Amino acid sequence: MSSAVKAGEEIPELVKHPTTRQLVQYAGASGDFYEIHYDQDFARGVNLPGVILHGLLKAGYLGQLLTDWIGDRGTLKSFEVSYRGIDVPDKPYRCRGRITKVDGKDVELEVWGEDENGQKTTLGSATVQLG
Amino acid sequence: MAATDVVDRIKAHIGKTQKPVTATVEAGHLKRFAEAIGDPNPRWLEEAPPTFLVAIAPTSYHLDEAEQYGKGWLNGGNRFEYLEPVKVGDRITATGKVGDVYEKSGSSGNLLFIIFETEYTNQHGHTVARLRGTAIRR
Repeated sequence: MSSAVKAGEEIPELVKHPTTRQLVQYAGASGDFYEIHYDQDFARGVNLPGVILHGLLKAGYLGQLLTDWIGDRGTLKSFEVSYRGIDVPDKPYRCRGRITKVDGKDVELEVWGEDENGQKTTLGSATVQLG
Repeated sequence: MAATDVVDRIKAHIGKTQKPVTATVEAGHLKRFAEAIGDPNPRWLEEAPPTFLVAIAPTSYHLDEAEQYGKGWLNGGNRFEYLEPVKVGDRITATGKVGDVYEKSGSSGNLLFIIFETEYTNQHGHTVARLRGTAIRR
């Protein structure tokens, strides 16, 4: 897909199936031990429905969406995410992206994460340099 | 203590650079991080995936005063800027500061926004990445 980079095109989606086990793995690997990600009672005590995904885990998923698409064709230059809603384990988390601008080797994309109802709980953007 | 006093005390941190944190990018750490995300790309055995630097140094440091505002933390967003690749064996130094602090009224009460900015440099003194994080107290 050497020249098939056109504004408006969607990139291949990535569907993740996070589990509480994965939240604990991410807590350990990232060093973020905030209890809302693995302690159900603590999470409910701060008015959450239960443990929730780390925002940065969702950013990690969207990062994978981008690097899977980029492959060895280019370099990720910047990546930005805004967390608009919570996500809970044992529900699919669907990562999607679309090319918004192509200017020579510079490509801009919007990326987002959807919960199982299609609600966009994470919004983001990225810039990629091809070549 | 009145909330405004707490906010003023947190605002006093704006612009103050924190003590830098230095760590080596270890192969085992990269592997565990990629496994936690569930990203099987073999590239991450040698190179840091896009969000790995948060694992080298926290995106926010502990602010005692902030704990006195609201009940808990939320992550509002993150922005990464990449200048050079980060590879296994690199010595990365992270230097963080509070970029901004402001209050907003939300549907269920006031929220306090704390913007943390971190710059990452490698063993050659090159800036490899910058990270901006929006932490919210609610």
